[in-house]
Amino acid sequence: MSDQDRDLFCIERMRAGDTRALEELYDRHSPMLYSLALRIVGRASDAEEVLQEAWLQAWRGADRFDAARGTVAAWLLTLARSRAIDRFRKQASRRRAETSVEIDPPRGGDEPPVQAAHRQLHERVTTALSTLTPQQRQVLELAYFSGLSQTEIASRVGAPLGTVKSWTRQALLRLREVVPQEEWA
Amino acid sequence: MSAHRDEHLELCAALALGAIDERDRRELEAHLAAGCPECSRELARLSDDVRTLAASAPPVAPPPAVRARVLAAVRSRAPAERPARGRVVALEPRRRIAIATWAWAAAAAVLAVSTVVLWRVGEDLRARLDESRGQMAKLQTDLDEARRWAALLDSPEARLVELLPTPAAGLPRARALYDPAARRAVLVFDSFAAPPGSDYELWAIRGDGPASLGLIRADASGRAVVRVHDVGDPASLQAFAVSLERAGGSTNPRQPQGPVVMVGGVGG
Repeated sequence: MSDQDRDLFCIERMRAGDTRALEELYDRHSPMLYSLALRIVGRASDAEEVLQEAWLQAWRGADRFDAARGTVAAWLLTLARSRAIDRFRKQASRRRAETSVEIDPPRGGDEPPVQAAHRQLHERVTTALSTLTPQQRQVLELAYFSGLSQTEIASRVGAPLGTVKSWTRQALLRLREVVPQEEWA
Repeated sequence: MSAHRDEHLELCAALALGAIDERDRRELEAHLAAGCPECSRELARLSDDVRTLAASAPPVAPPPAVRARVLAAVRSRAPAERPARGRVVALEPRRRIAIATWAWAAAAAVLAVSTVVLWRVGEDLRARLDESRGQMAKLQTDLDEARRWAALLDSPEARLVELLPTPAAGLPRARALYDPAARRAVLVFDSFAAPPGSDYELWAIRGDGPASLGLIRADASGRAVVRVHDVGDPASLQAFAVSLERAGGSTNPRQPQGPVVMVGGVGG
């Protein structure tokens, strides 16, 4: 059985209240969710809270998962990203109100190891992103990691809205071409 | 439905990225709700492309403590495991009273009242204990049942059966997870809302002909899950099939009366 099929059955079991199904999903997807959250919020303590909130939301909202709209992994990433963007925006408004920002102390050398497959995928995607035009990279970056809407992106980069829309789609298609989903899903 | 345009595909990309403007979102949601197959397919693919983009975040493993926190929080919310909560009464700090005799009288009164209250609390706790025992017994039964279903996933014998639409059908999708040893099967159906006045019916195709496994009743999102406790003799089971019947299903449990729209062989 593929990971995607296992994920789907985990969702079914979660709907029936089986917490072990959540454990299974947690172990499979948390490294990716946590890395994404940390990339967006920048601070480990915030990323940990984002991860926790996202899983609670997944547990409560398993009924709302719709397989027709994408994979379980994509759904979980959407939950984690939107919690992270919310937190990032709150941080930004706090930063505007304060003069100094507290920074987490660097962690000791006892961090849990990153899975080799996750690291390899990251390297492939980073290489793939380098084949995009700078504009394409920038619109993806501002949209996905900074949470800007397309209108906000257009005014930030000084390009017409229609151009931003077409850069965005072209960028995602290019990414699909360079890192086909079947190869790693 | 609003006619499909290439701009809709651009909006799908913006939606998948979470960057769509509100007006565009309303337009796209209406377009999707009207059932544009091209945009639905593309949206699912784009959400996977966004998943690729997410992997550009530098990989960092989450601290193990978060796992424990998440599980503890979820367990405390799991409906079946949620204990009956006692009422908590906030106690206000009392003001000191300077007059000693007054204090002694008050203490005696408090003691008398406390005794009655404690006796009532004891009765209440006993009743709750009985109730909890009943709940525990039910939970154990539920847990045993859940374990039997979970065992299906780990069984080395379990087979995944894909049911594909026949050319006459639209886009519904079905999958069956079937364990011949346990004779159990779980079938998951997507985009499975039956047209008005009709019902989808599930069949086991056996050596001696079809046998109805019941109607497939999808929820509002078109999704349905059917658990079959006993699919019959594994040596005789050849396939799962779905027919589109008049409302209420075929009147003959051994023969579909409507067209068979999906079929999936269980293989050997």
